[in-house]
Amino acid sequence: MSTLLTHIAISDGKIKRSSLEVLSHMRQLAEANGHTAEAVIIDAEASNYVDEVKKYGPSTIYTVEDPIFENHMNTPLLKALSKVMDEADPYIVGFGSTESTKDILGALAANQDAAVLSDVSEFELTDAGIKAKRPVMAAKILSDNIAEGDTILVSVRSGSYDLDEADAEANIVDIDFSIDDSDVQATLREIIGASGDKIDLAEAETIVAAGRGAKDEEGQDLINELAAVLNAGIGASRALTEAGIMDPSLQIGQTGKVVSPQLYIAVGISGAIQHVAGMTNSKVIVAINKDPDAPIFDIADYGIVGDLYKVLPPFIEELKKIKG
Amino acid sequence: MKFYVCIKQVPDVDAPIQIKDGELIQDTDRMVLNAYDASAVEEALVLKEEHGGEVEVVLVGPEKAQETIRKALAMGADKATHIATNGDTDYDSATYANILATFFSDKEYDVISCGKQSQDTDAGLAGSMLAEHLDLPYTTNAVGLEAEENTLVVKRQGDAGQEIIGLPTPCLVTCSNDMNEPRIPSLKGIMQSKRKPVESIDVGDLDIDESKLQPKTKVTGHMEKPEREPGQKFEGEAEELAQKVATLLDEEENVI
Repeated sequence: MSTLLTHIAISDGKIKRSSLEVLSHMRQLAEANGHTAEAVIIDAEASNYVDEVKKYGPSTIYTVEDPIFENHMNTPLLKALSKVMDEADPYIVGFGSTESTKDILGALAANQDAAVLSDVSEFELTDAGIKAKRPVMAAKILSDNIAEGDTILVSVRSGSYDLDEADAEANIVDIDFSIDDSDVQATLREIIGASGDKIDLAEAETIVAAGRGAKDEEGQDLINELAAVLNAGIGASRALTEAGIMDPSLQIGQTGKVVSPQLYIAVGISGAIQHVAGMTNSKVIVAINKDPDAPIFDIADYGIVGDLYKVLPPFIEELKKIKG
Repeated sequence: MKFYVCIKQVPDVDAPIQIKDGELIQDTDRMVLNAYDASAVEEALVLKEEHGGEVEVVLVGPEKAQETIRKALAMGADKATHIATNGDTDYDSATYANILATFFSDKEYDVISCGKQSQDTDAGLAGSMLAEHLDLPYTTNAVGLEAEENTLVVKRQGDAGQEIIGLPTPCLVTCSNDMNEPRIPSLKGIMQSKRKPVESIDVGDLDIDESKLQPKTKVTGHMEKPEREPGQKFEGEAEELAQKVATLLDEEENVI
């Protein structure tokens, strides 16, 4: 019997849904293969999240609590994860594929001499390790991969697995943690544009994304109004972030965020391959574009050929009626 | 500042892709400098222009990758090291990081940089692996770099916004391609690149444990991604279309 450990990521005082998706899958794998599912929460207030994590059925929850985890810094997170791995001796460690995970995954694998696969869209256990599918080449194709060894790390794209609650009594283990200032050479000077009450795109159920076609003030107002009606996150194509019209953190695509919402509305986006790489896993895609030959229509479930300035106002009104 | 930029030759992701019997057929005529590495080269060149110093590129790859080294030199890098491999090697991120860690073990530098990921595998692991092996302070996903005395100031894109991180040198940073528009080599740059020094080392000549060249992960096959089928495309009166699609999203898809 081995341990399948899931890292529960916290950002802006909330558990990342993608972590709970991974925990759900890891618990199912543990049940099917006679292993144990465990979870670890590393945060300035880790114990606050124990009750929520319990709902997904890990038998043990490790907590590492220290003020240093208030903001993401890679050295303390690495040290904490290494310490928990020494304690839990996991066979597999699963992560949601967040920016914080991407910042430490390779270093942790090197530190623990573990095999590692990043950003997988699915994985399962084999006799010797795991096998996994990963989107590669700008998400145009899928690669089959195996990872073998005594310890394997895997990070999973958000939206790859459904949440699956299985309430159970969990054993809570607080891990003692301290770190010398001298061990943390990097300094966090400032955080700009913290997302605050904005919706995290990687976790959003609905996303309204704006492209070049919506670059003026009127277009932006319409995007904002549409997002407000749907309680949606707002994303952008590279054209808009490069033009300085929208914040780079909102860029969706191979370079920016990879998203997998239930509903993705692409407004004035032509559908360059790099953009599509970041949103092709959305459940339902709606495209609004005045160019009937825009490549976005090749992947959209519903395409509206038309000028967004004429389409969006009645679309917003109709959605208001439905929501109302 | 002494910059080392680790670069990689990769297939052009915009080229048509063929898969035969599960194997990815790469068009070797369309191999390019990894776009993220190109941004790392550009940023190193900008910092060198501001503060002086030297930019050296390092590439692990087969003979053919020389053309990618020449591209970086034509952009303005001062010199290069080519760690030559057999073209059939099956390296994963960890083996690349092990090779580079061995190479850097006796080098002096202020900053090692590289792209945040390769545009072909999108793994994004080798940079932080290398930092861990070399015990360097590091950060990933940089969208801006500035140099201060003995410190590299990195703006990185994190989950909660952009983080400004001060890294004491020597340090390592991985770069996003959001941070700049890599320069296109001028004719003069291309001519000059031919006279710039390129040191070639065979990977077998590095003092590296054979076990560290054995990958722990392997790609066992490739497949076409199930394509999304084009759905319904509506043309006509805007108001009518808006109403129709809103109703479909509500009643058929249940996503409103």
